[in-house]
Amino acid sequence: MRNGLRFQKFCIQFTVAALLVMAAGNTMAAEPLTQVRSTVDEVLTLLRNKSLPHEERRQQLTAVIRPAFDFEIMSQWVLGPNWRKASPAERQRFIDLFTDLLEATYIGKIEAYTDERVEFTGQKLEGERAEVETLVKTASADIPIRYKVFRRGERWLVYDVVIEEVSLVRNYRNTYGEIVRKEGFPGLFARMEEKIREFKASKAAS
Amino acid sequence: MRGTATSLVLLLFLLILPGGLAVAAPDSAGDLPVTGEATFPFEEAFAEEAPLKVWDPIEPVNRGIFWFNDKLYFYLLKPVARGLRVVPEPARVSVGNFFDNLAAPVRFANKLLQFKLNDASDELARFVFNSTFGIAGLFDIAKEQGGVSRKEEDFGQTLGHYGTGAGFYLVLPLFGPSNPRDVVGRVGDYFLDPLPYALNNWELIGARAVDKENDLSLDKDTYEGIKRDELDPYLFIRDAYAQRRQAQINK
Repeated sequence: MRNGLRFQKFCIQFTVAALLVMAAGNTMAAEPLTQVRSTVDEVLTLLRNKSLPHEERRQQLTAVIRPAFDFEIMSQWVLGPNWRKASPAERQRFIDLFTDLLEATYIGKIEAYTDERVEFTGQKLEGERAEVETLVKTASADIPIRYKVFRRGERWLVYDVVIEEVSLVRNYRNTYGEIVRKEGFPGLFARMEEKIREFKASKAAS
Repeated sequence: MRGTATSLVLLLFLLILPGGLAVAAPDSAGDLPVTGEATFPFEEAFAEEAPLKVWDPIEPVNRGIFWFNDKLYFYLLKPVARGLRVVPEPARVSVGNFFDNLAAPVRFANKLLQFKLNDASDELARFVFNSTFGIAGLFDIAKEQGGVSRKEEDFGQTLGHYGTGAGFYLVLPLFGPSNPRDVVGRVGDYFLDPLPYALNNWELIGARAVDKENDLSLDKDTYEGIKRDELDPYLFIRDAYAQRRQAQINK
């Protein structure tokens, strides 16, 4: 009987200790979520600020997004086998174009939800990588958007955005691969440049 | 005695760690270089995002139907939906809830068919609460008050759950992205749905049209965004559809 009680006490003490250790672990690990949250919040604040002149707002958005995403890694992965075939000049060209394009795309996608509430629902850590889960609450539906990040030094950088279970980077890999196969790098670059021109034109117009 | 307690604690750790917000899986650390040159050790780290190959043997035909649907969208479906936007949003949300609630039997049956019993009982509870306290389903109080959200389940997913492959990519006129499995799924859902038994053909088409147009009026111009952002909207939607269906089936 006494033994049983002591055993129970042990269990409780150890459980409490274990929970404390876990809690400590979690606060330390809150990093990716905090970083993604501050990026998303800044982007949304800028998008909501209608009084800012267009060009200035675009520059500020760029200043927030560029350091939070790793466009270089994304570029490599999106090109996949084609990356190895590309010359250094082509690689650099692709990174530049892809950075412009993805930035504009991301802004476009999140812009639709400017007036909605974004909840940060959790994060999953897996070694050097993590996933930050958000939920965009619109009147009619909750849209899950996940940010995949990995650690580079002190910062967690975004390498993929998954909207309603659709990974943007994974999708691009298919699309870009197919375009390179049919039209080669010149064709791909031409299409990307065309898109970027369209973005700039529509931004100037609105 | 102390040994038992320690192993109990260890067990506790093991039980909790793989669950919710866990820490450090040892095998994946080091896949990505923390510093230094960005060469190509990334392939492995990104293995989980292996590109999804979509079999599209009738691409020219599909692109033709895609073009047709595009015109249908911009010249008919979207203008009607835009017209609907004069109705206040909360009313349209309620109309959407009403139709979603009516489709509960389809979701319930598919959850049962997959032996997802918890999901099935959630569905049943949602249907009972929303049909009564939610005034014939106009209000989703099961979600607002009970925190039980709607989970989609259809016969295409049921077939996928039991290992049926998607087959080739198929764009349907009006309905959009699909594949043979999901076409069979649509037919299956038609028979699981009580609505076709209660309404005649024209009433059914009318109800479906109101439902879809109402959804479109609540949508935040998703298709316009894809057309604006993507190099090839056809490829983007094709691959997004495949990814999304696969994720729904795996859930």
